[in-house]
Amino acid sequence: MSTSSNAYGAGIMAKTGKAFADEYFAEENQVVHESHEVVLVLKKSDEMNSVVEEILLGDRKADNPTLVVEDRAGYWWLKATGKIEVDCTEVSELLGKNFSVYDFLVDVSSTIGRAYTLGETFTITSELMGLDVKLKDLEKA
Amino acid sequence: MAISTATKAATDALAVNRAPVSVGAQEVHRWLQSFTWDFDKNRTKYSTKYKMANDTKEQFKLIAKEYARMESVKDERQFGSLQDVLTRVDAANRVHPKWNESMKVISNFLEVGEYNAIAATGMLWDSATAPEQKNGYLGQVMDEIRHTNQCGYINYYFAKQGQDAAGHNDARRTRAIGPLWKGMKRVFSDGFISGDAVECSINLQLVGEACFTNPLIVAVTEWASANGDEMTPTVFLSIETDELRHMANGYQTVVSIANDEAASKYLNTDLNNAFWTQQKYFTPVLGMMFEYGSHFKVEPWVKTWNRWVYEDWGGIWIGRLGKYGVESPASLRDAKKDAYWAHHDLFLLAYALWPTGFFRLTLPTAEEAEWYEANYPGWYDMYGKVYEEWRARGCEDPSSGFLPLQWFAENNHPIYIDRVSQVPFCPSYSKGASTLRVLEYNGKKHSFSDQWGERMWLSEPERYECQNIFEQYEGRELSEVIAEGHGLRSDGKTLISQPHTNKDGKLWTLDDIKKIGCVFADPLKAL
Repeated sequence: MSTSSNAYGAGIMAKTGKAFADEYFAEENQVVHESHEVVLVLKKSDEMNSVVEEILLGDRKADNPTLVVEDRAGYWWLKATGKIEVDCTEVSELLGKNFSVYDFLVDVSSTIGRAYTLGETFTITSELMGLDVKLKDLEKA
Repeated sequence: MAISTATKAATDALAVNRAPVSVGAQEVHRWLQSFTWDFDKNRTKYSTKYKMANDTKEQFKLIAKEYARMESVKDERQFGSLQDVLTRVDAANRVHPKWNESMKVISNFLEVGEYNAIAATGMLWDSATAPEQKNGYLGQVMDEIRHTNQCGYINYYFAKQGQDAAGHNDARRTRAIGPLWKGMKRVFSDGFISGDAVECSINLQLVGEACFTNPLIVAVTEWASANGDEMTPTVFLSIETDELRHMANGYQTVVSIANDEAASKYLNTDLNNAFWTQQKYFTPVLGMMFEYGSHFKVEPWVKTWNRWVYEDWGGIWIGRLGKYGVESPASLRDAKKDAYWAHHDLFLLAYALWPTGFFRLTLPTAEEAEWYEANYPGWYDMYGKVYEEWRARGCEDPSSGFLPLQWFAENNHPIYIDRVSQVPFCPSYSKGASTLRVLEYNGKKHSFSDQWGERMWLSEPERYECQNIFEQYEGRELSEVIAEGHGLRSDGKTLISQPHTNKDGKLWTLDDIKKIGCVFADPLKAL
C-alpha cells in the first residue's frame, strides 16, 4: 500500500468513524483548498495496461516520483503533483504499431486538471492553460 | 518498357522533393487556423450576460477525421465486449439483484441528462464566438448523442439479458408519480438548458461534468464490479472518455469570460447556484444508490464525495482559479453536511414512498447496519431502529397491510417537497442540511429545504412552478394514482416497484395497496 500523500487512501481517507467525521467537519475544511495535484483515470485496455505498467511505472517512473497509480477494478486511477505526461511515440515503439495521441484518448476516462495535446504528447497539468500559460499550436516543421 | 516524358518528369521531381505520404492531424489543425470565421451575427436561444472572448482554444486540437475514428474505436470495443464475451458468460445474470435495481435508476436518469446535454451544448455553440471553442462544443453535441444511445442500450441489455426487466425497459412511463423524477429533471434538464448560456455551461460542464460525473460515471463502475456488474464499467467508462473534453470545454468557457467585467460581478453567484443545484440532487441520490443499492460496499459514500468533489474538484479546479477571483462556494458547508447524512435521509423517504417508484428497494440487513454505524456514528439511533420497527411490522409482506409512509403520519413527521430542487425532505426527522421554510406567492404556499434554493426562487419564482406529487394527487387514493401513473408490470396488477429484492418473496399488487386506503395529502395545506 502506497504511503504517498497522493495515494487513494491517504490523509483523511485513512480515518474511519468519528475520527473521519471530526476532520471532515473541522472548521478549516469548510472551504476548498487550492491543490497542485492532477488526477487521470485510464480505462483498462490492452494498450493502457502497457502504458501504465511499462512506461509510467516502468521506464519513466523516475521522471515523476510523485505519481501514484491505483487499480480500481475497471480503471487505473493516477494522481501526481504538477503534471502527468505521456509521449505516444514511445507508446508506439512499445506496442510495435502506430499509436497516436488520439488513439491514447480512446481510453482516457477522466481528468482533473487541465489536459491538452501537443503533437503526439498528452499532458495533464495543474497549470492554468489559457490563463497563466498560453495553449500552443503545433509548430511548422 | 519506355515511360512517357510526363511520367519521367514527375518521377525526377519526386526524387528531389518527396511528396508527404500523410499529414498529421495536428498539422491539419494548424492549417485550419488560417481560416477566419466571423460569428458576429450569432443567433442564440438564450443570450448571456457575459462577453465570451473570441480567441479561446480547444485543448485537444481535434479535427473531424480523428474525432470520428476515435469514437468508432470506442463503440467497436464497447459493443464488441457486450455482444460477445459478456453475453457468452451470462454477465447480466451475475449481477447482485440489489445492484440490478440501482442500475435502473442510474442508467435511466443519466440518459435524460445526456439527452438534455445535446441541447445545452448546441446552445453553447450558438453563444460562443471563438472558432475553436465552437469546435469543442460541436464535438460535445455529437458525444451527447452517443451517450444517450449508450444509456438506452445498457437498459435494453439489462432488460433483455438479465433479471427483472421491469424498470429497465419502461421507467419513463412512471415519471409523473416517481418522487425522484422531478428533481432529476431539475438538475439534468432545466439546469442545463434554461437561462443564461454561460450559467448553463457552469451547471453542465464546470459542475455537472467536471465534478459529479466522476462519482456518477467513474466511481460507480467500481461499485458495479464489486456487485458482479461488468456491463456498466464497459459502457460508463467509455462514456467518460468523452467527458474529459467536456470538462475542458467548461474550463475554456470560464477562460473565455475571465477578463470580462461581468465575471467579477456574477461568476461566484452563478457558480454557487450551480454547485448547490447539482449537489442538492446528486449528493443524496448517488449516495443512496451506492450504499443502499449494493450488497458489497466499496467505501462510505462520504469518502467518495470527499475525494472527487471536495478535494479534487474543489482543490484542483475551483481552488486553482482563486487568483482569478473564483471563491469557494458559499454553500459548501451545507453540501458537506448533506454528503454525510442526506442520502440516509433520502433512503428513509424513498423506502416510505416505494410504491410510486420503478425500482425495488431493500432494507439494510443486520450486517449492513453494523457497517453504517461504524462509518456514520449515530446512524442506528436515527435510522436503524426505524428500519427494525418497519421490518417487525411486516413492511415487506403484502399481507401485512403496512406501508412505511403510515409511520411518518403516525409520528407526526410530515414529508415536504423542496420547490426548487423537487427533492423530498422531512424536516422533523432529518440529519442532513434541510430545514423547513415556507413562503407564499400568488396565493400559493411553497416549501423550501434550504436558504440556497430559497434565494434562487426569490430571484425568479416563476421558474419553479412544477407541481409536486402531493399537490398533484391531493385527495387521491394511492392505488388509483399508481394505476394512472403506469406503475404496474405487464400483468396489469403487480407493482413495478417492490419493498424487497427477495426472489422468493411475495410481490405487492394493486389490491394490496388498495386495502390500506392510503390517501395523498398536501402538507402545506395544514400550515
